Amino acid sequence: MNEQPTRETTLRLEAVNLTKRYEDGVLALDHINFAVQSGELFVMLGGNGAGKTTAINLFLNFLEPTEGEARINGIASHREPLKAKQHVAFVSENVMLYGNFTAIQNLDFFARIGGKTDFRRNDYRDVLLRVGLPEDVHDKRLKSFSKGMRQKCGIAIAILKDASAILLDEPTAGLDPKAGHEFVRLLDSLRSEGKAVFMSTHDIFRAREIADTFAILDRGRIIMQEPASNLAGKDLETLYIQYMAGHNNSSVAAAGGIHA
Amino acid sequence: MLRTVIDKEVRDIVTSTKFAVAFGVCALLIIAAFYIGATHFKVSQEQYEASKAVNLRQMEGVTDWMQIQQHRIFLPPKPLAALVSGVSNDIGRTVEIVGHREITARDSKFNEEPIFAVFRLLDLEFIFQVVLSLFAILLGYDAISGEKEKGTLRLSLANALPRSTYILGKFIGSFAALSVALLVAIAIGCLLLPTLSISLTGEEWGRLGLIILVGLLYFGVFLGASVFVSSLTHRSSNSFLLLLVMWIMTVMVIPRASVLLAGRAVDVPSVDEIDAEKATLASQLWEEFRADLSGFKPSSNSQADIEKTMDEFNKYMDSLTTLRNEKIAAVTDRLNESRRNAQVSQQRLAFDLARLSPATSLTLATGTLAGTSLDLKGHFLEEALAYREGYYDFMEEKTGVNMRGGGMFMRMSHGEEEPDPINPRELPDFRYQPATLAASVESAVVDMGILALFNLLFFAGAVMAFLKYDAR
Ligand SMILES: Nc1ncnc2c1ncn2[C@@H]1O[C@H](COP(=O)(O)OP(=O)(O)OP(=O)(O)O)[C@@H](O)[C@H]1O
Ligand SMILES: [Mg+2]
Repeated sequence: MNEQPTRETTLRLEAVNLTKRYEDGVLALDHINFAVQSGELFVMLGGNGAGKTTAINLFLNFLEPTEGEARINGIASHREPLKAKQHVAFVSENVMLYGNFTAIQNLDFFARIGGKTDFRRNDYRDVLLRVGLPEDVHDKRLKSFSKGMRQKCGIAIAILKDASAILLDEPTAGLDPKAGHEFVRLLDSLRSEGKAVFMSTHDIFRAREIADTFAILDRGRIIMQEPASNLAGKDLETLYIQYMAGHNNSSVAAAGGIHA
Repeated sequence: MLRTVIDKEVRDIVTSTKFAVAFGVCALLIIAAFYIGATHFKVSQEQYEASKAVNLRQMEGVTDWMQIQQHRIFLPPKPLAALVSGVSNDIGRTVEIVGHREITARDSKFNEEPIFAVFRLLDLEFIFQVVLSLFAILLGYDAISGEKEKGTLRLSLANALPRSTYILGKFIGSFAALSVALLVAIAIGCLLLPTLSISLTGEEWGRLGLIILVGLLYFGVFLGASVFVSSLTHRSSNSFLLLLVMWIMTVMVIPRASVLLAGRAVDVPSVDEIDAEKATLASQLWEEFRADLSGFKPSSNSQADIEKTMDEFNKYMDSLTTLRNEKIAAVTDRLNESRRNAQVSQQRLAFDLARLSPATSLTLATGTLAGTSLDLKGHFLEEALAYREGYYDFMEEKTGVNMRGGGMFMRMSHGEEEPDPINPRELPDFRYQPATLAASVESAVVDMGILALFNLLFFAGAVMAFLKYDAR
């Protein structure tokens, strides 16, 4: 099998020695490396302040890397941000959207600036149904929406952009268990459409259901990165919870060593 | 892309409660300003006609033009002055023509009805200056920082959307939405004028159009400043606070402080000081005059020539008087001139300092365009002087006497038959000629330029700040 060209065409998200030191000296990311391919769901686990959002911000060029680069479809974000951003959709942690606009109006605006100008009302309805928003709220103003409902709108916006890569920053934070479950199914279907999905989360149980690859980020360093198949039947939960509770380098490194 | 952003901006603004309330208040006040202006104009118009009639009536029954004791002319009210009152209520509107004294204007509106001086009138310029600027701040303060707080900025900029397009769209969208809203309110106000049977000439419409343009430029300054400040801050509450401080400085503090500062910097002698100086000079000259009188040397000492001596003495005295009057006149002229010069340079300094605030440019430009700027008084007096020349000519033609010299004129009536009364309507009419449109535009153009410059400055500042804005 000729692997090289395939890798070239399917590598959607890449962090190469990605490093970020903030102005105040905090080293938020320390030479991290990872790659997400088309059809792969990559989950980055990490506690508060581990550097997950920083990584996503580097992909979206909201920050300049101190060293290394974040690439989308092979394009370095900080070199050609507009070109890179054509190929990525983004679901943020807690999005409010435009409170005076209806769900459909919000979708319409973001679809258009995402470059999709020929959607019809039907398309918006379909995608809203797909993320689990019933038809009777489609024309309600967003300010009457709950946090979870807004989150679903945010996901719908990302789906509409139909980009080859999707970045999700703690997308399940506002979702109830049922919605969380539906959300996992949704990610699954996006993956089978060939999207490269990068998701940051604290929620190991949900991640376990679906991820292809796990990474654990601790104080700016990837201390473990494994394909899910390697972890099958292994006690990822215990490992992660240990890591979360202890937050202690030696124990995690040791635990990581077991699975390496 | 730009269109999408503009579109969104317009809809976001127009559908907000904030807009509904702010625009409602703004529109109401603008329409009220037109209504109040129109009614104020009509009242002034009636008073003006009445004053003119009274002036002519007091001459009725007079049989000799020489017997006219009083003849007054009046500054006619103008509808635009009711919309942008400027100084029109502060200056005297009446000038007494008979006599040859220095011409002065009396009977200002505020003098006659002091209550108005306390509360001022709710005119369009005031609405523009205070309400429009607040309206702009209220709708622009969260332009960028608010989007950040909603997370929509991050979400928007996660797309292949250039920041310059985004900020441009914001500017165009918010300015278009808000100025259309304002123009609707102003248009309703304008439509009110004909229904209140006030008709503007074509030129006056042109002036009103320019005044509205100046208002929009001023509005643009504050909107631009709001977007600028909101792209310097990350919380809209901070941005609002900053803008409020800026508003207080520009609208309330700078114009007043500039006048105070200029008053300190340039000393203008008061009228009292000048009068005192004149009085001192007069008494000094009087002493000299008396001393000089004793220096009179008759050509002969013979008693027979007493008549001749008297004659010589009279001539001597006359020449001294003339000399004294000339001296007084020269000094008075010089004092008045230097007072005027000091006044002009003080005024210029005050204006230049005050122009740091766009509110000053708004006041000056709208005042100039409406013909109610500080020049109004001087212009009115000039016109009155010119009229008095015409009046003297008229009187000379009627009576054969040149009244320019002043003094008392007595004429014996001879002949037994009762003379016919004069017809006061023969008196030349006073037609006030305001500055031409071209002249007004010429002197307003500086301030319009300043406002345009402020717009540009804030726009450039906002673009620059936004390109570096931390959108996370
Ligand atoms: N603007 C900033 N300036 C300085 N330090 C920052 C800044 N933003 C984040 N940091 C620091 O960088 C580190 C990583 O922060 P980041 O927001 O990426 O964490 P995270 O993994 O997303 O955490 P959470 O799970 O709480 O969202 C933290 O130590 C944080 O304090
Ligand atoms: Mg985070």
